Amino acid sequence: MHIEREQVGSDVVLKVAGRLDTPNAKPFEASLMEVVSMTDGGIVVNLAGVDYVSSSGLRALLVAGKAMRGAKRKLALSSLQPQIREVFDISGFSTLFEIN
Amino acid sequence: MLVIAELLAGLGLLFVGLKAMATHLQKATGRKVRALLRRATRSPVMGLLCGTLAGAATQSSNAVAVISGNLVRGGAFTTRDAIPVVAGGNVGTAALVFVAAIDFRLLVLYIVGLVGIAFHFKLDRRRGMAQWMGVAFGLALALLGLDFIKQAPRALDVASVAGSLADHLTPLLGFFLGLAVSAVSQSSSTPTILVLALMQAGILGLHDAVFIVLGANLGSGFAAILSAGGLEGTGRQLCYVHVLVKAVGCLIVGAFFGFGEVVGFDGFAALSAVGNDTASMSLSVLFLALQVAGAIPVAFARGLSEKFAAAMSPPTLEDGASRPRFIHDDALADPSTALDLAVSETLRLIKLLPTLLPDLDQKDNGDAGERLALWRGAASVGLAVDQFISELIAVGLARDSLEVALHHQALVENVRTLQDTLHDFTEVVEGFDEVPPLAFALSESLRAITLSLADATDGPADDLDLIIALSGDRSEMLNRIRRQLAATALDAGADARQLLLATSLFERAIWLVRRSAIALRMPENEDNPVRPAAAEAEIKRVEADAHRT
Repeated sequence: MHIEREQVGSDVVLKVAGRLDTPNAKPFEASLMEVVSMTDGGIVVNLAGVDYVSSSGLRALLVAGKAMRGAKRKLALSSLQPQIREVFDISGFSTLFEIN
Repeated sequence: MLVIAELLAGLGLLFVGLKAMATHLQKATGRKVRALLRRATRSPVMGLLCGTLAGAATQSSNAVAVISGNLVRGGAFTTRDAIPVVAGGNVGTAALVFVAAIDFRLLVLYIVGLVGIAFHFKLDRRRGMAQWMGVAFGLALALLGLDFIKQAPRALDVASVAGSLADHLTPLLGFFLGLAVSAVSQSSSTPTILVLALMQAGILGLHDAVFIVLGANLGSGFAAILSAGGLEGTGRQLCYVHVLVKAVGCLIVGAFFGFGEVVGFDGFAALSAVGNDTASMSLSVLFLALQVAGAIPVAFARGLSEKFAAAMSPPTLEDGASRPRFIHDDALADPSTALDLAVSETLRLIKLLPTLLPDLDQKDNGDAGERLALWRGAASVGLAVDQFISELIAVGLARDSLEVALHHQALVENVRTLQDTLHDFTEVVEGFDEVPPLAFALSESLRAITLSLADATDGPADDLDLIIALSGDRSEMLNRIRRQLAATALDAGADARQLLLATSLFERAIWLVRRSAIALRMPENEDNPVRPAAAEAEIKRVEADAHRT
């Protein structure tokens, strides 16, 4: 898994590539939480390069989502591949995050 | 021919009578025996005494072992607590051998007469009477059978049969004969009673009978292992305790006769003297001595006994999963604490929910056998919590506690249904040779949601709100998926049908997760202090029931 970080205005964009599976979920969550704690704007997670997401990956996003919700900040997802979008729809996670 | 017919009839009546007696005794005394055994955990002596009473009441050491095993699995007992009970159960079964040793012909006639008259006047329809009448009738049949066996050889030259038997029946042959008969009859008391009848008929002497009874004693231990069948873990451990009691009893009593011979002490003469020179009484004493000699060391060295049993049958995953961690019977004495314990147990069950689902992220999806054991264990604890709360409500609670208890009982019922739904869903997913993308999405989504619910049990109320939002209605999307599947099902066959089933189970599971989150959220919901009308009605109904009783 590869994560690139980019500042766009007041938001931070995280470009993620690879598999959001059990081994990668913890480092992904750590990267997200680092951005949550180090910045005070919104976060956009670009999932264009993600072709696999498991329950561990979803859970990592939920942890970050809860922290952002608590801080009244916005966590959005963008550029989901169709099969990834289906997982987000079925799991109900697409109702929790703004998806662009 | 008459001799064989009478012997067969006697055997038949004995077996049917003993079986009927044990069955009716267990039905008549089962609850009381269970209550008695619950008190047996205080000390080895108490365990031994309670086990002896239970063995006498049920006339089956296997029944005592099975009840104890269930109490161990239910968490009321540890295996260590159950060891003296199982040991005592063997001692209790000696009561029937003593009954069989006395002259009972008159007693049998009275019992048959009284039971028959009682049946004629339909006394068996009175509460509790049918089982006791069954016990009495079973006892009469068994004793009648013994009488047939005793009377059968009267047409023979008893002295010549006895002489011929004494010539051919070596101690070793007698031992193996006893072992085989007890293994077949699954009982040590049945062959002992049979030997007793042959002794009373003058066919067998005390010397031969001792070796047959020793074999029968050991054989019934092995019979318990055979009858345990597929039982594993702690359930099987108590069968090994049973074998240990029998083996230690045989070793000590065998050593008594063996060493006696070496040092010039006649153990047989001593046994005969203890039995007041009555062969049948001597045999009854021997049977009791075998049980006591096995039971006492096994009960008092229960640490060693436990190690032996655990080495022979290590605890299984299901054993661990079936054991409640918080609730226990003694807690019912303090209802408010008991309610807290029930809540803690339910939260633990919620935390275990994700383990019931396959982890498709792993190459082998995890171990299916392990998941099945965890589901069985969790379902068993779920049932125990449900019953615990029902008993708590029956004990009588203050109005506020009653409201919490009823609310919590609804949550437990919901969690139990969710456990079963997740298990059914898992079976469907495991049924695919290669998991299709839709099944993967459903399974991993469900896993993520149950993991989040498990996390939320420790978190702030906001986390539950998140679960409630996450588990909202998605029937429109699932119906669309089902329509697509239905269109392809005609061509795609079993996989499409399995996927249809998976979507239904998924939808049900999500709905149950939502209900669970709402139930967990409600007691803390200060925005909604108004009690729902249905809950109010339920509280009034339970309070009215409590007043009536």
